Amino acid sequence: MNLDLTWRLLKGGGRRGLLGAWLTLGAVAVSTALLLFAVAVNFAFAARADRGAWRNPVPAEAGAVAIEAARFDFVGDQVITVVDLAALDARAAAGARPPGMPRLPAPGEVWLSPALAELARKLPADQLAERYPDPAGVLGDEALVYPGELVAVVGHAPDAPAMTAAGTRDGALGKGPAKVADLTGTPSEDSEAYRALTLVASVLMVVPLLVFGGAAARLTVARRDWRLAALRLVGATPGQVVRMTVAEAVIVALAGALLGAAAYAAAAPLLAGIPIAGGSWFVSDVLPGPLPLAAVLAGVPLLVGLSAVVGLRRVVVSPLGVAKRETPPAMRFVRVLALFAVLAAFPLLTRGTSIGIVAVALGLAFLCVNLAGPWVVSLIGRITAGSARRPAGLLAGRRLVDDPRSAWRTVSGVALTGFVAGFIGLLSPSAFAGDGEPPQLLVSAPAGQAEAVAGQARDRLRAAGVRATVRVSRRGTGDALVATALGSYADPATIDRARTALTGLMPGRTPTTRADDERFATQLLADIRMGTTVVLSVSFLVAIASAGITAASSILDRRQTYALLRLAGTPLEVLDRARRAETLVPLTVMGGGAILVGVFCAMPFMIGGMSVAGAITLGACVVVGFGGVVGAGALSRPLLRSVTADPAPRPD
Amino acid sequence: MDSRPIRQARHPANLEAMNDVLVGRALTKRFGQTVALGGVDITIGAAEAVAIMGPSGSGKSTLLHCLAGIMKPDGGEVSLLGRRIDTMRERERSALRRTRFGFVFQFGQLLPELPAEENVALPLMLGGVPRTQAVRQAREWFAPLGLHTMETRRPGELSGGQAQRVAIARALVSRPAVVFADEPTGALDQRTGHDTMRLLVEATRHNGASLIVVTHDQNVASWCDRTVEVRDGLLLVPGGVGA
Repeated sequence: MNLDLTWRLLKGGGRRGLLGAWLTLGAVAVSTALLLFAVAVNFAFAARADRGAWRNPVPAEAGAVAIEAARFDFVGDQVITVVDLAALDARAAAGARPPGMPRLPAPGEVWLSPALAELARKLPADQLAERYPDPAGVLGDEALVYPGELVAVVGHAPDAPAMTAAGTRDGALGKGPAKVADLTGTPSEDSEAYRALTLVASVLMVVPLLVFGGAAARLTVARRDWRLAALRLVGATPGQVVRMTVAEAVIVALAGALLGAAAYAAAAPLLAGIPIAGGSWFVSDVLPGPLPLAAVLAGVPLLVGLSAVVGLRRVVVSPLGVAKRETPPAMRFVRVLALFAVLAAFPLLTRGTSIGIVAVALGLAFLCVNLAGPWVVSLIGRITAGSARRPAGLLAGRRLVDDPRSAWRTVSGVALTGFVAGFIGLLSPSAFAGDGEPPQLLVSAPAGQAEAVAGQARDRLRAAGVRATVRVSRRGTGDALVATALGSYADPATIDRARTALTGLMPGRTPTTRADDERFATQLLADIRMGTTVVLSVSFLVAIASAGITAASSILDRRQTYALLRLAGTPLEVLDRARRAETLVPLTVMGGGAILVGVFCAMPFMIGGMSVAGAITLGACVVVGFGGVVGAGALSRPLLRSVTADPAPRPD
Repeated sequence: MDSRPIRQARHPANLEAMNDVLVGRALTKRFGQTVALGGVDITIGAAEAVAIMGPSGSGKSTLLHCLAGIMKPDGGEVSLLGRRIDTMRERERSALRRTRFGFVFQFGQLLPELPAEENVALPLMLGGVPRTQAVRQAREWFAPLGLHTMETRRPGELSGGQAQRVAIARALVSRPAVVFADEPTGALDQRTGHDTMRLLVEATRHNGASLIVVTHDQNVASWCDRTVEVRDGLLLVPGGVGA
């Protein structure tokens, strides 16, 4: 009966009642879609780590079937992952099939990923194809971390130099040969680092999303409270009221969650195009599995229902409780103290423990930031109201003091992400790379062989028609570096021709430039920047959705007051300016402030130069974000005009 | 008493004498097929308090809205101190309502997040008065209306009667020519309503403003200098003569 009545009330709520339900539905849809993204991105990185694990060999204690080594080669500004494989025992190795290949490669056989095969066809042979001659096959997607990845699998005999030589001079540039019992491998340290960063980014996104999603149940709260109080007055029991509220919130939230999931599925191909860690994504990676999907689809309506019940307390206590607006209790400073306590304990919590504990500590810190946030908004409101000279500023300030949580919901994501975005956004990856020096290819060789290797290098380069100076530089470790200087005017094509000519010069080792060596560090910084931009974009999306939906629901909740003010001659522009300031003031102070502080803190690291592209991206993100927030608020202007045009406003 | 609804005769030539503050002439208004006003003439004198009574749907609120420039009549004209307001654009009428009129509604007119004194000061600030001065002027109204110590309370912390007195202060703070009150005691108990009406009439009169009160309540109407009754969109006057 309750459900039937709830459904009838929901359906029969009239145009504005339905608009309220639509706003809740929209808020839930937006938060579900973004929540799915925040969750799915973790599974996406896990899928990448798992798919790339086979290239990270785990030495076998016993029962070895193959020898595996991995290294990185380079073409232009792209990385090629090269896996050297040798079967130890053909029969035993038959079961050790590398992903994306039907069998282990025979000695001398080369298998290329589709993108590498395509690139090898496109470029002149002396720049790439000659390094991987006569490919025997194309690797399947299972072998690849991302769709356009450049991968080569090279078969060797077990006693081939590449399979017996020591590893590369730099551990970051590959793994030396190891006997393996299978080709399962283990996720690389890099992939684990990406997963850890992703977890942090997820926490950054999830906390504001949960706050926003939970708040969806309280949109147009005044209207619903009036209706439920009326039901209490005619004799509905508290239990019935709670059940009806939960039913209404859950029905709408479930519809919103399904809509959000559908929207996310539709957006997945676009999200898969975001390049991180070298390339874009398989669409299947960014789609959450059935379990996470079910958890989100069940969790969001549950959260909304719970939030609705919490918001109902006043109605349940007294049917008359909502007939009069009560002054909300002031924000307590203890919220800020809680944040300080967690921040003080944070180094202890995160010292030498697992990434899971760190994530929990981080989540706790963010929750405390969320506790302290409304207090700060309230403070901003008091300052705004205290210093306001015009009615719009006064109204905005008082409204912030009255309901700081609502404003915090809108700006929390940007405030949380802003610092990182500001810090990372302007750092230039090239500032950390050894740009500016003439390119030279370096390969390490045992000191005793260095001169001979240098001689071979000269012969190969001469044969390839590449002008270069080859010399040997000693190092303290006993190894020597064979340095091939290509001159200041060497273009990328010349460098690639030299790379091709020097391929196999030292078995299992790749000649690299200093830029190649630092590529992974700069790639990581670039990826953190991309990730930060994505998180900041999500935060702005939450802010935009929240600003739009909160503005519309606030108009519906306060339509009688707005209408009466308008009748008394208050210009629409004043009400509009107040609504705009209500969002923009805390967004500017907290979001903009966080970004500026981040930029300020990054300044000492910008000695090597500021990233213009990063600055433009950050600037564009901020401009579009602020514009979006203002635009979203402005969308409800026709609604404000419509409700204030009513000459006889009455509460619902 | 003969209470036949009649269409009023044209007012004599001295209708818009300086003593007449607000004049409505031959006002008509329709909502679809429904005739809300069927040609009403009404004159409000300086510092005069007039009650408009009538059953629900009789057209009394529509008459108030037309006189206050909230609504444009379909026909007829409305003048404030000799100046036509029905021909003004919305922006001008809005400014007029802000500066020359005051309003007291049944409830819900105070901004819940503003303290009482800022609710009262708001019309002054909207008119460009600096905030400190506006708040100072607003405070002056509190003691005479029995609201001493209520200045910093918010509407949620006031009783219904206190909130209505704050609304009265807000209606009068910008020294309007006319105060419009739509069921000002409708949400109050009889005693509080009585007190509120007394304060409304006294404060309005003391301020030299005219008062137009729309009400169902004969007790409320009795506070006014005269009463006009509206029925089916027409004025109902004793003896069949329009006021």
